[in-house]
Amino acid sequence: MTLPVPTTGARRKPVPGNRHWLLLRAGGVLFVLWAAATITFFALRLVPGDPAEAILGGPGSQAGPEALAQVRREYGLDQPLVVQYLTYLGRLLTGDLGQSYSLHKPVLTAIGEQFGATLTLALVSLALAWALATGLAAWSVRGGRVAWAIGSGLELVAAAVPHFWLATVLILFFSLTLGILPPVSVPGPLGIVLPALTMAIPLAGFLGQVMRESLLTAMESPFVTTARARGESEVRIFWRHTLRHAAIPAVGLSGWAFGSLISGAVVVESVFARQGLGRSLLSAVQLRDVTLVTGIVLVVALAYTVMTLVTDLADRVIDPRTRGVGE
Amino acid sequence: MPSRRFSRPRAAVVVTAAVALLLAACSPGGGTSSEPSGEPVTGGTLTYASGDAEPSCLDPHVGGNYPQALIATQYLESLVSLDEDGEVVPWLATEWDASDDGLEWEFTLRDDVTFTDGTPFDAEAVAANIAHVQDPATASSTGYLALAKIKDVVAVDDHLVRFEMSAPDSALLESLSQVWVAMESPTALERSQEDNCAAPVGTGPFVVDTWERQDSVTLVRNDDYNSPPADVAEATEGSDLPYLDSIVWRFIPDSASRYAALQSGEVQVIDNAQPDTIKSAESDDAIEELDAPRPGASNRIELNSGKAPFDDERVREAFIRSVNVDDGIQSLFFGTAERSYSPLSSVEPLGLSLPDLFAVDTDGASTLLDDAGWDERDADGYRVKDGERLTLDFPVSTNQSIPAEQSLFEQVQADAKTEGFEIKLQPLDLSSWYGVLAENEYDLVSAPYTKVGPDVLRILYHSDSITPAPSGYFANLAQVDDADLDELLTQASATSDAGERASLYEEAQRIILEGYYILPLYDQQNHFLRSSAVQGLRAMPTVSTPTFAGAWLVP
Repeated sequence: MTLPVPTTGARRKPVPGNRHWLLLRAGGVLFVLWAAATITFFALRLVPGDPAEAILGGPGSQAGPEALAQVRREYGLDQPLVVQYLTYLGRLLTGDLGQSYSLHKPVLTAIGEQFGATLTLALVSLALAWALATGLAAWSVRGGRVAWAIGSGLELVAAAVPHFWLATVLILFFSLTLGILPPVSVPGPLGIVLPALTMAIPLAGFLGQVMRESLLTAMESPFVTTARARGESEVRIFWRHTLRHAAIPAVGLSGWAFGSLISGAVVVESVFARQGLGRSLLSAVQLRDVTLVTGIVLVVALAYTVMTLVTDLADRVIDPRTRGVGE
Repeated sequence: MPSRRFSRPRAAVVVTAAVALLLAACSPGGGTSSEPSGEPVTGGTLTYASGDAEPSCLDPHVGGNYPQALIATQYLESLVSLDEDGEVVPWLATEWDASDDGLEWEFTLRDDVTFTDGTPFDAEAVAANIAHVQDPATASSTGYLALAKIKDVVAVDDHLVRFEMSAPDSALLESLSQVWVAMESPTALERSQEDNCAAPVGTGPFVVDTWERQDSVTLVRNDDYNSPPADVAEATEGSDLPYLDSIVWRFIPDSASRYAALQSGEVQVIDNAQPDTIKSAESDDAIEELDAPRPGASNRIELNSGKAPFDDERVREAFIRSVNVDDGIQSLFFGTAERSYSPLSSVEPLGLSLPDLFAVDTDGASTLLDDAGWDERDADGYRVKDGERLTLDFPVSTNQSIPAEQSLFEQVQADAKTEGFEIKLQPLDLSSWYGVLAENEYDLVSAPYTKVGPDVLRILYHSDSITPAPSGYFANLAQVDDADLDELLTQASATSDAGERASLYEEAQRIILEGYYILPLYDQQNHFLRSSAVQGLRAMPTVSTPTFAGAWLVP
């Protein structure tokens, strides 16, 4: 998508003022959280399989009737579904996410242990994706027709590769052939390189496609011509003027990108044996740990909405037109 | 048994020796060890990468599955163990004796063993452990079943404990050797389940130090360790076990990453090595294999005889006669798995194999199906009877079947199609899979079951096991309902005469095999790969978990 050049054109539809805007957004966040909690809760109950058996079971085990009865009582599974749902919502309101039976500890504690690792991975990946996308877009926009073709081709391929395949290729190349990076996560900055790269490359493909179009538009726009006429250097023009324009749609996309990074973490954390919410989510789903799954989904939904809020705010800072009339 | 595999030149190194005395390479006990080269070296940290799920609780009393057994073997010990020949040997109990009617067992305990939290190991500790497993609040499943016939535990004196049984149990010692009922500090057991799951306290060679969830468990050396099982104690006399300072127990679910981590030296031992990996590791001099099939049942496809069409024995036989499993195993497992013709694992001394029953005979299969009334075919080539197609539902647990096995099922599907069977393979996650079994919506199923000793047959094929638990789960998935078989299995579990026990179990297996209730495939695969720097690694002859008590790292 390309943006109109700001110097001309009619004034756009008025945007709500900052206070209204925040209230509306806060309401939206609450709605998203409630919807996420409800959908997850019922979706997990609709799948076949007895949670009580899942709590006790594993391959090759057979739970006794007393143990099952005990588990049902303990986790409230003997109550009607609606009662379970309301109890659950009531507890959510007080900030209690419940007890994870697969981890034998409070869900909040369990998420707390994993959240940092996934957030770090997502943020490093996002930064890396931005760096890759900016670099490639800048190079291909200024490098003529061939560079343009190469750039857009690379972006298309990058945007399409699946995480698990990319991870395997990276492990093969950097760990087994070159032997410079560990094939599984290790403590310290070295351990995050391959997982972050795996997530960043497809994302950079998406961001790059968006950025390059708007970069080109910006470079051909009158204010750039003016700047050139003033004798500003190309480097200065790029950083001060065109990049700012190209960044607007990409910043908007970053909120969405953050959400996709969390889901990508499920695959990447498993392949690289990295700690994090993605792995917890996977095992929680397999173990039918309803409270833990719902808790993780809630936290991810919250992180996602907060991130969207932040990108919208950033948008308002970068692009004055979105600031509205209420100030 | 591993003997054929071990005769290969490269693999010979792996198995021929071992913590020297522990080593009878082809014992029915199931344990194997690698021959150590040179003198043991003290110190160092070994990293182990497990492909099994991360346990949700490190105390195997809670629930009780194989991932728990793998890690708990490093810090918990049992009353008795098995040696390489499958004989019961002393461990935390030095002697035992059963009353003539089999209703009372007395165990004499070691008096010099202390749990790593300082609590002494004594008769009260044993009583507390049995009570913990039997307490519904513990939510034990495997251990609970193993100890089902223990009615009461009496501490006669500090180091003599008496089990009072509700019925004689010839499998008691085998059951007690399993890590799912290992001994834990009674002081530690009194903590909350959350605390005890995070760091159970035993008498083993290592101590749980920290557990970084979704990443690793760190185990550190138990400096006061003095209680290896009798056979190990004999073999390593004078040594100060364990040799390693610590073990980092990692969870690496992706099999390619796990192998890459081993190749790059990030980790020194991996489990759940896949057939293609084992094959490619053969050409790597720095990597050795340890093959330790699990005891209990073999991996098999069970035919649900509780409803049509498999309630007709002719249809069961026709199915079994029409599929060629051998070729599939050969091509998909690259020779890393051997065909089984028994309901029991090859490491079970009492296993009975009847290969002739499983020879492919497509003509015979056709005749059997014609006789059973499935004598027409529809436009797609499937057999039809009374307007209904010969369709078989085959739910597959993707959490329990490795890719090679799932491919094997697809080959079975293709083979059976030529005879007119339509097999509907349904890949399912574990919980959904339990769900369809509970609903009796299956005709074919493959479910692993690990337990020491032939009493596993009673759990799997006694008609009592068709009655579902309140959850809907039941173990007799073939739904064998045969009064003679029930009688044999009940007698076998009660008899104290070894010879009689053996012949009862032989007869029981004959009924299961000749009734075409199951299609045995191979042993439960349990392959470990280790860096050649790791010496003295051994698989326990109990449930074939690896033990690092006598392992060291060559610098």
